[in-house]
Amino acid sequence: MSSNIYKNKKPIIFFLVPAFAFLVIFLYYPFFQNILNSFKAINNLGSSAKGWNDPWYTNYVELCKDTNIRAALINTIKMIAATIIGQLGIAIVLALMVDNISKGQKFFRTVYFFPIVIAATALGLLFNLVFLYDKGMLNQLREIFGAAKLIDFKDNSHAMLTMMIPVTWQYVGFYFIILITGLNNISDELYEAATIDGASRLQRVRYISLPLLYNVICTCGVLAVTGALKVFDLPWIMFPKGMPSNSTWLTGTYMYYHAFESHNVDYSSAISVLIVVLGVITAKIVNAVFKEKDY
Amino acid sequence: MKKMMAMLLTGAMVLSLTACGNGSSGSTPAQSESKFGESEAAAEADKEESAPEKSSGPVTLNVTTTFAGEDTNAQNYQDAIAAWQDETGNKINDASGSSSETFKARVISDFEMGSEPDVLFYFNGVDSNPFVEAGKVVSIDEIRQTYPEYAANMKDGMMGASPVDGKNYSVPVNGYWEGLFVNKAVCEAAGVEIPTADTTWDEFMDICQKIKDAGYTPIAASFAEIPHYWFEFCIYNYLTPATHNILPESSDDEHGQAWISGIGDMKVLYEKGFLPENTLSATDGETFQLFIDGKAAFLIDGSWKVGGIEGATDDVDNFTVTYVPGKGERKSTDIIGGLSSGWYITKKAWDDPEKQKVCVEFISYMTSDEMVSNFASVSATALKNGTQVDESQLSSLAVAGLDMVAGATGMAGAVQDQVTQEARVPVFNGMPDIVTGKADIKESVEELLKLVAEGQQ
Amino acid sequence: MDMARGDNIGKKAYHKFSFGMTGVYAVLIGWALTTIYPLFWILMNSFKNKKLIRSDSFSLPVGETFTLDNYKTAFERVNILGAYRNSLVISLSVAAAVILLAGLASYALVRYDFKLKGLLNSMVVAGMMFPAFATIIPVIRMMNVIGLANTNQIPKSLLAVILPQIAGNLSFAIVVLRGYIGGLPVELEEAAYMEGCNIFQLFFKVVMPLCKPSFATVGIFSFLWSYNDLFTQSFFLKTKPEYSVTVLLSLLTSQEGTNYGLMASSVSLIVFPLLIVYLFLQKYIVKGLTAGAVKG
Repeated sequence: MSSNIYKNKKPIIFFLVPAFAFLVIFLYYPFFQNILNSFKAINNLGSSAKGWNDPWYTNYVELCKDTNIRAALINTIKMIAATIIGQLGIAIVLALMVDNISKGQKFFRTVYFFPIVIAATALGLLFNLVFLYDKGMLNQLREIFGAAKLIDFKDNSHAMLTMMIPVTWQYVGFYFIILITGLNNISDELYEAATIDGASRLQRVRYISLPLLYNVICTCGVLAVTGALKVFDLPWIMFPKGMPSNSTWLTGTYMYYHAFESHNVDYSSAISVLIVVLGVITAKIVNAVFKEKDY
Repeated sequence: MKKMMAMLLTGAMVLSLTACGNGSSGSTPAQSESKFGESEAAAEADKEESAPEKSSGPVTLNVTTTFAGEDTNAQNYQDAIAAWQDETGNKINDASGSSSETFKARVISDFEMGSEPDVLFYFNGVDSNPFVEAGKVVSIDEIRQTYPEYAANMKDGMMGASPVDGKNYSVPVNGYWEGLFVNKAVCEAAGVEIPTADTTWDEFMDICQKIKDAGYTPIAASFAEIPHYWFEFCIYNYLTPATHNILPESSDDEHGQAWISGIGDMKVLYEKGFLPENTLSATDGETFQLFIDGKAAFLIDGSWKVGGIEGATDDVDNFTVTYVPGKGERKSTDIIGGLSSGWYITKKAWDDPEKQKVCVEFISYMTSDEMVSNFASVSATALKNGTQVDESQLSSLAVAGLDMVAGATGMAGAVQDQVTQEARVPVFNGMPDIVTGKADIKESVEELLKLVAEGQQ
Repeated sequence: MDMARGDNIGKKAYHKFSFGMTGVYAVLIGWALTTIYPLFWILMNSFKNKKLIRSDSFSLPVGETFTLDNYKTAFERVNILGAYRNSLVISLSVAAAVILLAGLASYALVRYDFKLKGLLNSMVVAGMMFPAFATIIPVIRMMNVIGLANTNQIPKSLLAVILPQIAGNLSFAIVVLRGYIGGLPVELEEAAYMEGCNIFQLFFKVVMPLCKPSFATVGIFSFLWSYNDLFTQSFFLKTKPEYSVTVLLSLLTSQEGTNYGLMASSVSLIVFPLLIVYLFLQKYIVKGLTAGAVKG
């Protein structure tokens, strides 16, 4: 792929060492400790281990038997689907639209960003009040339109949807910004040339914007998958402890729960290992599906 | 472990050396005599005191407490330490935080790494086990060998002994109680009497039924998130203040049976429809709001909720608090309460000749009769002389709380405090499955006991 | 960020107003409403008595229900200006370091072929998923050993937050920048190379200017996450003079989470200064970037 300039590989080290030094010292070394911790017995975050687990791989056996982690994985897969279709899909559409309008680009760029800057606690409260059983915004609206019975948006049959909508909504802006930046990197000459050749707006999107955006979309795919695996703040505030009856666990919330609520830090460490392994695998799959192209 | 300690000590020493090297003004000779463990703190203190006029007398204490954020005593605490600093000329580095899980993790990890504060106000239940077990705090007995008058104004039996060895390590300030909060308007609308000290559990069930028939929710509780309070009182009903705090050995002994019967009563509450319709999917915040909005009549919660209710409603006189109706051996007036936090002196500070006395003075100042009365307000204390509270300053709800405590015939600590979070899971998190019949009560209790036993190994 | 294309399009009049365009605007405005409303909702409730927020949160605070109490409480209790300064120092340093380090690394990862490339790429992706609470304890230990934690000295404490935050944001930044740099035509670099640029000049004089909007995007995200990252901050910023805005305001609202009025006002105090600064600076960022971007 690379041209002649990049045949001399000596400079690589200067490019890579600073960043990877940071990663190794502040992420990989601590995470290696975390892997060790997953074989020990630890009750409180910050307290030392009481000793090795007996047998040392107990947590991983537990992981295989745990029905909650199974629910969490299934829910997380749903969440991945929702992020790819919902977040990324909506973001692509919005980004292409904004890229093609002449007035108000700046405005939309700024306001689509808003959900990301608001702390999850505040968003959680807002959505809790929107979905409140007795009587939140939605149930009040339904009442106005003549519905007689209140809907419990947090019961078993609605819970996942009630959780996914806010999470999806919150991150659309994030992907939107990344995509629109990618669109801005495409040079205007290409569009001009295409216009001169008589291409319609849709054709320009189809044959210029989308292909040139391919790399960035692929990046977003990786971000969406890994994001879904670790998301926890907003879901946790709306559905603490996998409520109702352990049906809304996500891998992220379940890990958080064991680190902070059940004081089973070693088990939480094991879950984080699982998340990282799954994340790397799914990221590879995403990359393979999108098959990164070069231009 | 030893290796790590060695590493940390080396680290601390290196740190203190560099600190000495960097310090522009001269370090005191006392520095070199200090032991390894304290060198870091000493270095710190030294830095603080490098200001010209503070070369000898005043001492800097590192203090960490849970008096922060929305804690009702956050302001009292700030005022108190400001006054103390003015009086004595000593300085306080205050690193208090709200008692969130993150804060707890910070405190515990500070102890692990030898960077604990000199004085700590913290929980005395299982949360304190890590540093008590590691011998990083000084027991009251040991302090009294040098300072016989230390905490002499407290009842020793109520100071909140450590679950590790039954010794007192901390001096408590304000405690808690749990009671039945009542929304009077709902009771009135449903045409029922507010439960009193004489109301029995069976009568209470009738009251709930009437409230339900009148179209209200009798009990505001989220069995999905916080079933703890009802758990306490339901099993308390089969025990007494003297026996409530003893964990069952097995599900078959007397206590095990009490637990099973008590949890059975919680299931009955659910089956009779006395809980909010969405009790298995609502958060505690949502059910509490039902209570405030006049949609539900009763709520069991702790003394800290007095402030919560005062803050959430415009009409605090519409609310009161009374005894949770009892049955069997337990009288309705037997309440749950205790003193769950206290002031600790860390070993690090105790072994520092400069700080020892100041720590004792500081805690004595913070736990004087007057100060404790001020902090405790409506909650329980361990004071021998009791608190002096000016009732005219309090809301009717707070006064009702004081009256309730005053009329109590017995008090037991919450038994859940003896069960680690990890062990609570089968019963507390499993409550939705238990009350809907998906999980067996006996099996869940056995699972909990198994986890408790594993934790004690 | 960058408005170069928007302006150009306007001038060149690619687009005439059409029916389709109305639909596009309808969709865009519809989505914008959903993103503006929550912020408006928070601002509105921050002026309301805390008792009303749970029971009546969707109405305007006018007349009797209007109050400044929530802000008064927030300002009375704390030194908020010092906290903004600390936050800015932390987040700007993090953003700057991330831009530079991630830029260098992703450039090499995209342009060079070498043996360990696959492994390093996987390392970067994995690094995005290490949860902060799984890595924090060893990090605290390190900070203690190198003498950055528990010193009661503001610069050291801030640095103790900055270092792990840089590492925490690097992975994301590298993944994103890899995507952007990969989209650049390599011919430009070849041309510059012919003219005698060395490899570092290529990066700083060709790649970086061409990707300025991308670097800005990454910088903004890093800034934001660092600014909002309560978790790392609350371990290292312990005493009042060290507090950042996020730590400070979380202390006001954490206990029991019942005081929604204070929560609304503190979220407003966290978010709005940031937005206002962003809106003002946007102009200058855009100007700076346009110069570079158009040349490409």
